[in-house]
Amino acid sequence: MRRLLLAVLLFAPVCAGAQTIPWGLDALMQQMAHVKKATASFTAQKTSPLLTTPLSARGVLVYRAPYYMRKTTLSPVHEVFILDHDRITMSGGPGGQTQRFSTSDAPQIAGLVTGIRAVLAGDTATLTRLYSVGLRGTEGTWQLRLVPLDARTRKIVKSITIAGSDDRVTGIDTLAPSGGLTRMHVTETITTDAH
Amino acid sequence: MRTDRLALGLWLLLLAVCAVIDASSVYRTKMGDFLPHSASLAQRVLARQVNGGAASHILLVSLHGAPTATLATLSEGLAKRLRQNPAFIDVLNGDAQSLAPIQNFIWKNRYLLSPTVTSGRFSAPSLHSSLTGDLGLLATDLAPMLSHSIPADPTQEIMSVMDLLKPAGRGPEQMDGVWTSPHGTAALLLLHTAAPGFDLNAQQRDLQTLDAMFSRIRAKTRGAQMVRLEVTGPGVFGVRTRAVIKDDVTLLSSVAITAIVLLLLYVYRSPRMLLLGILPIVSGAITAIAAVSLVFGFVHGITLGFGITLMGEAMDYTIYLFTQTARDGSAQGTIRRIWPTLRLGALTSVVGFSAMLASSFTGFAQLGLFSIVGLVTAAGVTRFVLPPLVPVQFFAEGAERIARPMEWLIRNRRSARPVAVVVLLGAIAALLNHQGTMWDQNLLDLSPIPASAQSLDTRLRHELGIHGQRYFAVFQAVSAQQALDKSGNLAPVLAGLKTSGLIAAYDLPSTILPSSATQRARQAALPNAAILKSHLDQALAGLPFRSGVFSPFLKDVELARTAPLLTPANLPPALALRFNSMLVRNGSGWVVIAPLRGVSDPTVVKQRLGTAGADFVDLGHQTGVLMATFQHEAVMLATFGSLAILVVLLAGLRSLRRALTVALPLAAAVTITAALLTTNGGKLSIFMVMGFMLIVATGSNYCLFFERAIPGSPFWDRAIASIVLANLCTVGAYGLLALSRIPVLHDIGLTVAAGTFLSLVCGALFSLPPDRMRTP
Repeated sequence: MRRLLLAVLLFAPVCAGAQTIPWGLDALMQQMAHVKKATASFTAQKTSPLLTTPLSARGVLVYRAPYYMRKTTLSPVHEVFILDHDRITMSGGPGGQTQRFSTSDAPQIAGLVTGIRAVLAGDTATLTRLYSVGLRGTEGTWQLRLVPLDARTRKIVKSITIAGSDDRVTGIDTLAPSGGLTRMHVTETITTDAH
Repeated sequence: MRTDRLALGLWLLLLAVCAVIDASSVYRTKMGDFLPHSASLAQRVLARQVNGGAASHILLVSLHGAPTATLATLSEGLAKRLRQNPAFIDVLNGDAQSLAPIQNFIWKNRYLLSPTVTSGRFSAPSLHSSLTGDLGLLATDLAPMLSHSIPADPTQEIMSVMDLLKPAGRGPEQMDGVWTSPHGTAALLLLHTAAPGFDLNAQQRDLQTLDAMFSRIRAKTRGAQMVRLEVTGPGVFGVRTRAVIKDDVTLLSSVAITAIVLLLLYVYRSPRMLLLGILPIVSGAITAIAAVSLVFGFVHGITLGFGITLMGEAMDYTIYLFTQTARDGSAQGTIRRIWPTLRLGALTSVVGFSAMLASSFTGFAQLGLFSIVGLVTAAGVTRFVLPPLVPVQFFAEGAERIARPMEWLIRNRRSARPVAVVVLLGAIAALLNHQGTMWDQNLLDLSPIPASAQSLDTRLRHELGIHGQRYFAVFQAVSAQQALDKSGNLAPVLAGLKTSGLIAAYDLPSTILPSSATQRARQAALPNAAILKSHLDQALAGLPFRSGVFSPFLKDVELARTAPLLTPANLPPALALRFNSMLVRNGSGWVVIAPLRGVSDPTVVKQRLGTAGADFVDLGHQTGVLMATFQHEAVMLATFGSLAILVVLLAGLRSLRRALTVALPLAAAVTITAALLTTNGGKLSIFMVMGFMLIVATGSNYCLFFERAIPGSPFWDRAIASIVLANLCTVGAYGLLALSRIPVLHDIGLTVAAGTFLSLVCGALFSLPPDRMRTP
């Protein structure tokens, strides 16, 4: 009896690891890592301390594991933002010019998007290197709050809150230190390697 | 006796006067002062870029030998410390601080700097359209960054200025927040020192500071122990060159002096004679400096250094005098006997060097005058001052033994002549073979920089995206303000050239600091607080901006409207350096030198600039013109110098045959030397041409003595011994120079050592009269 108890105590975590981890950040990230492709439409409401009314935007998101992410804004202005490995490409927008730079050229902009990509890719290492991470909720409705560790990034983004259900992202809220808030609702279609 | 004292008195007086002139002379060292005195504006631009332009303040730094993240930490630490040191006015490593001083200046002064500030810009309709644009920007991903600047700068003046001032091109790679080489194996920094590249003391101190800072930071950084620092730039080259020159000159000249002193002591057996022997050359140098100073108004450093080298022949005069004095003879008797030969030899050299007076290169003309005055003085001192000072019983004991190998050659000269002729024919064939390609194209590149340092420089410049500046728009003005006004007028022309793709980028001083008139016009275009407020209120109608958001805008415009005008004193150091290298004093006026990059069609750009009142300068072309001028002059000087020498020999010897007997062995010696120097693809440099003149000047004395010698006469052995001794000293001194790592010293040393020795050999083979005259 005592030996059985010992065996259970010793091996239960191992077996549980192989089967079911108690739900938490690692479990969520493992689940996210299975997503190989995702496309989504989004609508966003941007509030700005400069403005009395929010600005609305809508567009499409594309993710391909583990390094490619594209956000295409269709309205009010057509704008494309691509993060591929460490390269960022921004085109469209009011200036009309295409800009290409690396994430380290503009760490502030990079801070806005690398966290989101790390969540989509289930890349715990990158995520915890760049942000302090807080997870709330349950597997069915979770909320991941990312606070940038880099001081320069904190000047333009206070926190990013990603909401989701299982391995799907349902919303991304970005809060600026000035009080501006961008609320993005996401409707996702995903392909995982399990399928 | 009375004439001797008179000569001594006059000599001392001359030296005293000249020494006073020397002490008050202006000495210059810039390469620009060596260039043609008739130099065009374009050529002066070239010289200015070579010395002291903004580019000469650059240091390129590379850190390597650790993972990128460690290198980035080191780069940050180094940059932080360097920025606190006033010796480094601009420290760029790719981090956010790199451009902060410039960004702050532009932000603070945007309403005076921005070309889009016009009265229409701040009308209600125009403001409305600016604000609508801002609203669009706030909907983009850039919103978090722009929400700071839009309340103070809704018309986006900062964009107009940044577009003009930002460096062209993408710049280096960036990893971990700092500039790196393409694969992150090295962190790169670009520094501008406060001191120009030619201020070698300051450059050396700055490099030591950099080294010390790096060592301290490396010691404090984990995992950085293997990291190495590499630095390059004009200042580094200058400092290294100076160190090499100092080492080489100290070592080689002390070895040469020791060797010559020992040799002369062996021959003369008298320290007093040794000291007397240097009087002519010292006197010559003192008077020559004074003469150059009086004629040109300044003495160039190169003239000083090489003038004394060119006067090496003066050393030979005393050797002839002392060595040819027989055991029972007096120096007075000797000088009377050899003076006609010595005088003709000196005259030959003077005539040869006088061709240099006609050179358009100021430095060449100075060297010519220096040598002429120096040699005339030295010959005069040897003739009139020295002989009475030589002790009556003096005899150069050791001379004969030194001359023995030469006597063997002379005995066998009949059988040696065909060998010499074959060598000469081979030399002529070799020279004809690479005619035209034997000139060194790098006229101004005289630095002893090893190929590895050159390639490091090329690599870092490439990685940091620093391109050599080749094309410039240049114009003159009577005042700095007029220059800035003209620069402002040229701006739209250059912007047009850029839009049409004829140039990729340009820089103008008026972009950094507009003229006072332009600044006043921009201030006048800014509405007063009440009017601006009412225009803004009208413009905001129907837009969702919160009230009061734009109060920073109202405040900044009012400040700018009443601010004192910007002057060069207001510029941050990095911009001041750029500004001062584009707007420079030129005599009583000013000249603007505006760099142009990526010129796709020089002909069209030249024509467009011409219409706008500016010259188009192509430095590559100017260097070519200078090279061509130099080559042409070198050939002309050599030709005229040789002809003049021939004429002097004809007049002095009164016989074509005798003149040719002296001149042809010299021509053979120079030809063989030139062929030797250009074997294996060697190139002839500016200093080798000076070496040729020196061969002729020194060698002509040998041949003259040979030609006048009477084999078997009582003076025969002494004459041969004096020539051999003179040549040994010359070959010894210049041969040691040939060991130098400095191209200039190496070139002249090798040329003269080889050439004078060949002159001795050729003279002995061809200038000596035949033996049948043994019994007169």
